[in-house]
Amino acid sequence: MSGRVIAANLVVSIKTFSREKSAIFFTIAFPIILILVFGTIFLNQDNPSFDLYVQDLDQTNSSAQLVETLDRNGKFKITTVDPALDATQYAKDKKLNFVLVIPKGYEKALVRRLGLIGGIPNAAIRDPNASVTITYIYDASASSTPTKIQLLQSGFAVVNQGMSGQPPFIRAAETSMLTTKFRFIDFFVPGIIAMSVMTSSLSGAVNMNAELRQKGVIRKLSTTPITRTDWILSNILYQFMLAVISALAILVVSYAVFSVRLQINAWLFAFIVLEVFAFGGIGMILTRVANEAESATAAANFIMFPMMFLSGSFFPLELMPGFLQTIARILPLYYVNEGLRAAMVSVDHTAALRYCAMIGVFATVVFVLGINTTKWDEGK
Amino acid sequence: MTIEPEHAIDVENLTKRYGDLLAVNDISFHVRTGEVFAFLGPNGAGKTTTVEIIETIRTPTSGKVSLLRMDVTTRKRDILPRIGVLPQGFSSFDRITVRETIQYYARLFGRRDTDVDGLIELANLKDKSNDQFKNLSGGLKQRLGIAIALVNDPEVVFLDEPTTGLDPRARREVWNVLLSLKKNGKTVFLTTHYMEEAELLADTVAIISKGKIIAMGSPDELIERNANYLVFTLKAVDRAPFEIIQRMGFEPVHDNHQTLKVRVEHTDDIQKILNALNDAGAASLGLDVRKPNLEAVFLKLTGEALREGSGEGVPE
Repeated sequence: MSGRVIAANLVVSIKTFSREKSAIFFTIAFPIILILVFGTIFLNQDNPSFDLYVQDLDQTNSSAQLVETLDRNGKFKITTVDPALDATQYAKDKKLNFVLVIPKGYEKALVRRLGLIGGIPNAAIRDPNASVTITYIYDASASSTPTKIQLLQSGFAVVNQGMSGQPPFIRAAETSMLTTKFRFIDFFVPGIIAMSVMTSSLSGAVNMNAELRQKGVIRKLSTTPITRTDWILSNILYQFMLAVISALAILVVSYAVFSVRLQINAWLFAFIVLEVFAFGGIGMILTRVANEAESATAAANFIMFPMMFLSGSFFPLELMPGFLQTIARILPLYYVNEGLRAAMVSVDHTAALRYCAMIGVFATVVFVLGINTTKWDEGK
Repeated sequence: MTIEPEHAIDVENLTKRYGDLLAVNDISFHVRTGEVFAFLGPNGAGKTTTVEIIETIRTPTSGKVSLLRMDVTTRKRDILPRIGVLPQGFSSFDRITVRETIQYYARLFGRRDTDVDGLIELANLKDKSNDQFKNLSGGLKQRLGIAIALVNDPEVVFLDEPTTGLDPRARREVWNVLLSLKKNGKTVFLTTHYMEEAELLADTVAIISKGKIIAMGSPDELIERNANYLVFTLKAVDRAPFEIIQRMGFEPVHDNHQTLKVRVEHTDDIQKILNALNDAGAASLGLDVRKPNLEAVFLKLTGEALREGSGEGVPE
């Protein structure tokens, strides 16, 4: 192993990177764009506010109070719909996915139920069976519809329970297992770091080996004093540098734009190192298995894309069907995601160590395989 | 095996098999220190396989190969710093400039004393020294490849098909660089399928066909030994000269433009033909008298053209 040779390779790789606009984009700009886009989308994940169109056919003080109660709830941005319009047709014309209709007679039914006239109890008019039906006109294909229905049902349940005059039997107390209150973006950033390190390491290893081999550069290098170890180590170092640059860019933007509350500790460094070795090793194996640079790139994409979406980089595993969750748990990126979240979000050192050990074993196996499959002599 | 001290390369009974394919079939030769040795043969003859074994990047199936008196199968680490290689279809890092590429390879060899400017000048790349590799033409890339092959001031330089795929002008520019190497006394192992290249540059030529060396010697020796005749070319306005020459016992050939080519053994024969044509009043115009080249030698030895459309068309 020669430090001089490794340094010479690093210089060439860095110069190539700095002159390759697409490489700069995919290493630095692309993950930042992902962070900005998803971070903005999920910025208010903890306090979501849904559009709610309300048609009040009753036009009374009581119905107006109901609308006001929904508005105060904070979960809805309310827009009123002209009572003269056909609500279903209006929803279709305006491409709305949800319209709540308060029926005519709402106040009368309320008065009978409560047995109150002008705030004074009147047993003669009290009817404990009086009720009213509020109609939801909705688009079942809209993703927000179930959430809106759930929120309204729980809101109306509170109203119904209050009218019963009895205190609730089951009460809920919320206690977060984390000491700090985290938002979705805090969970999202480690996933993006893991994803970008994976793509740069795997694509980098494939491009570096397959393309240069196909062009004959490796063959020329094999007639110089550079050894296979020098070549692989310099590539891994280069990939590590790119991974660190990419992770730093993601973190800087995340802190600056979204004020994330993440722990930066040695685990982050350890996971990046192991991930570079793991996916660099996979890249070397692919390069050997695929005959052409194009097929090696296609094989790398075939591995990367499913892994990106299945291993919980973008959304929690719980949202996926059971069999996909099982698949996710055999993907190395899942362990990097979980490990980084344990290290940076929940600061659970035991969990971080466990995931680190798992990805460490995987990285060792594939990297050793990668070294053995990378042939240096005979230009192959 | 006896190793002559003046030999830079010794190859003895070299054989290389790829499965059932016999790429190199029991060949032996040596290259003297300071000479330009051309390995001449058509595509697939076994040239590149042989040169890659000598360069240490392939292993022989059997036989013994020594480079600078070191066994190529066991002394790779000692050999590589002392040789320079221009591989077939040379390529480099697309985004790296000419100067940076030379500096990179010099660093790989640990050479702080490499005269980068001198190499750029030798390869006639001064105007292109800050151009990235991907922006160079084929000829410029090959010249850069030769400059790189010299970064470690090698004792032996291997040039594998240095002008293949280049246009005639670019080829001549590469030849000029190779002539500079020859002038500087480098030992050069040149593989090519261009006989002009071999004739112009080589001190010794080995012709390889189907994995076997079928002839070896200096270009003049090979021609003298295998094609000791002259080719007399003249232009005729009608068929009379053809018939006169044929009656004299020669075997002229002609093309559609009435250009006759006649193979003769001596210069006296040319005079006889001209006299006969003159006496018969046959209108003709003498054009050219040439010695055959290595192509003719190759044709004679193998019965096949070295490359398409290159045959002289003169019967052997």
